[in-house]
Amino acid sequence: MTAPLWPQIKAVTGRDLSRERRSGEVAWVTIPFGAIALLLIPLAVGADIPLLRRIGPGLFWAVVMLFGILIAVRRTAAETGAQRDLVALLGIDPAAGFAGKAVASAVLLVGFELIVGVVAVLLYDIDLTRWPWLLVIVPGVAIGLALLGTLTSSIAANLDSGAALIPFLVAPLSVPLLLGATQALDPLRPSNGILPWVMLLLAVDLVLAIAGVLTARPLQETR
Amino acid sequence: MTSTRMDAVPRSWLDVAAILAVVVALGFAFLSPPDSSQGEVARLFYVHLPVILGAYLAFLVNFVASALYLGSRNLRWDHWAVSGAEVGVVLTGLTLGIGMLWAKPTWGVFWTWSARLTLTAIMFFVYLGYLTLRRATNDQRSRAFRSAIFGMLAIIQIPLVHFSVSIWRDIHQQPTVLRPDGAQMDDVLRNALLAGIIAYGLVTAALLRRRYHLARIQSLVDLELEQGGGDLAGEAISPPTLPGDQSEVSS
Amino acid sequence: MSQVRGPISASFPSDREARTDVTDSPVVALDDITVRAGASTILRGVDLVVAPGEAVGVFGSNGAGKTTLLRVVATLWEPSSGTGAVFGTDIAGPGRYDVRFRIGMIGHIPALYPELTLRENLRFVARVRGIDDGEVDRVLTAVGLANAADRKVVDCSHGMQRRSEFAREMMLEPDLLLLDEPHAALDPSAVELVNHLAARVTARRGAVLIVSHDLERAGDVVSRTERIEGGRFA
Repeated sequence: MTAPLWPQIKAVTGRDLSRERRSGEVAWVTIPFGAIALLLIPLAVGADIPLLRRIGPGLFWAVVMLFGILIAVRRTAAETGAQRDLVALLGIDPAAGFAGKAVASAVLLVGFELIVGVVAVLLYDIDLTRWPWLLVIVPGVAIGLALLGTLTSSIAANLDSGAALIPFLVAPLSVPLLLGATQALDPLRPSNGILPWVMLLLAVDLVLAIAGVLTARPLQETR
Repeated sequence: MTSTRMDAVPRSWLDVAAILAVVVALGFAFLSPPDSSQGEVARLFYVHLPVILGAYLAFLVNFVASALYLGSRNLRWDHWAVSGAEVGVVLTGLTLGIGMLWAKPTWGVFWTWSARLTLTAIMFFVYLGYLTLRRATNDQRSRAFRSAIFGMLAIIQIPLVHFSVSIWRDIHQQPTVLRPDGAQMDDVLRNALLAGIIAYGLVTAALLRRRYHLARIQSLVDLELEQGGGDLAGEAISPPTLPGDQSEVSS
Repeated sequence: MSQVRGPISASFPSDREARTDVTDSPVVALDDITVRAGASTILRGVDLVVAPGEAVGVFGSNGAGKTTLLRVVATLWEPSSGTGAVFGTDIAGPGRYDVRFRIGMIGHIPALYPELTLRENLRFVARVRGIDDGEVDRVLTAVGLANAADRKVVDCSHGMQRRSEFAREMMLEPDLLLLDEPHAALDPSAVELVNHLAARVTARRGAVLIVSHDLERAGDVVSRTERIEGGRFA
């Protein structure tokens, strides 16, 4: 008999985090790759400290979006037909499968944001006056990107060009998340203007979560 | 299949009306006075704005049709959805192109990183992604379902683009027509703009209709192939015949 | 069909009791099943009945539709036309989600996560099904992989990967076991695994469906054979 929903979510999350622990792809490839990107940009735009301090936060979030996509879609996009069949025959509820994958991706993305964020603060001398909002925005962006990546990967699953197609689909759709994060933390924005952008971020997360759960079963059956 | 269903899309009053309306709109555009600061180049406005409104309409058709497909699984709605996306992508590309032609003499550059321009370009790529997703899917029902879900997500781009000039300080012009206090223009200019909106609205409708019929015909062809049985998958394989071997090697 | 005994089967824990819900109703009942993919037809008008306690072998050449047949029976591929039932449940209806947990399948491509160890792959399955982790070690021992349990799948041979899949199905004890080319990549001692697994299922009044090219090896296991060519049974 299949287990209740919560143990299924835990099992899927544990599987994906174990796969990352074994492969080390996020820790040893994606995070350093993101850090390198932050290093390369000043070489391209010039080492103007005030300029870099001003654009630093935006560059950080852009790196999170573009490289975070790789974390959010990598596992699902690389899933084989045999693995999908196994998951179906184990009786894992598709919504639980979706949630488990998204949770694992979100955990990895939070780690990515924290480590690359430290690099960004050090390299760009970013002002952290509004750091308490980061306690909501960092996980909010991670959850949104994880949900978007998992949902889009499900939409493009089983397609021949899926692995290349999925980041192309995710990147422009992640714009509301990017806007929510960058606008909320814009130093020129008055304090009472931050909350609407945070609400946008959380609203996008909620919409994506609902969309993912509702479409999980029919997408699993789509060939 | 009856021959009527496979015929080319019949000419209709919509096509004729669209062509006539464009001629009238262009007439209005050229007869209206030039802009006091931008001069003659500002006449592009009478095409630029109606075309992007047409794109919005097309993407809205995509959204509604996607929702209706998910509810009914009737392929007719998928035909409308792809029509909306394709026409919308073309019109958005046209908007960006016209905008760049207008921007160079006005702002001195083809492109600025204003929120409106950037988000419009992103909207273009979102729906280009929609079309790419469709190209990657061979089975028509699978294609319809996947792209319907994507179409429901993609619609967020439109309010983002439209409200971008209100949210951010933007070099791009503030809304002229779709604003809470109504259009803020002289009557002559408003009439020229209205003629353009009607004309390109009819053009959008005509394009949507024609693309719908194309999609419908393609779908009927695909369905005929499926129901006709087609090739047996295993027939592509035959026992190997090796050189120098007189008898066939059995499988 | 004789019970297969040997070092592997002898070391395995006691059998699960026979299914208590068993009637004489077929485990698998396919009627005029046709499967099309795009413009190609893979299966045409296939009829198949597998009774409780039966092990049926399906043989055919490449491209005959054997793997597709298996996936239709597993409720993983909805047929284009025809009707089918597994454990009395429509294979295309909403109830198919509720019977999938009774079906076990070993395909010709391993359903394993290459970055994980053999033990971790089985632990994932155990946790989904609420099975104790101790069972994982027992089944890995039973299939002769105790010493390789902590090896990553990517570092294992195809034969070892296949054995671990047999271990998985031993642990899950499905009522309907579907095997696609089960003897491929197995050495003679491991071939006994196929026989043992199939025997356990049929002894419990479950059913087994094997697709294979290897009529000779599979003949030890099956009680009936069918030949499929050109998408239909000959």
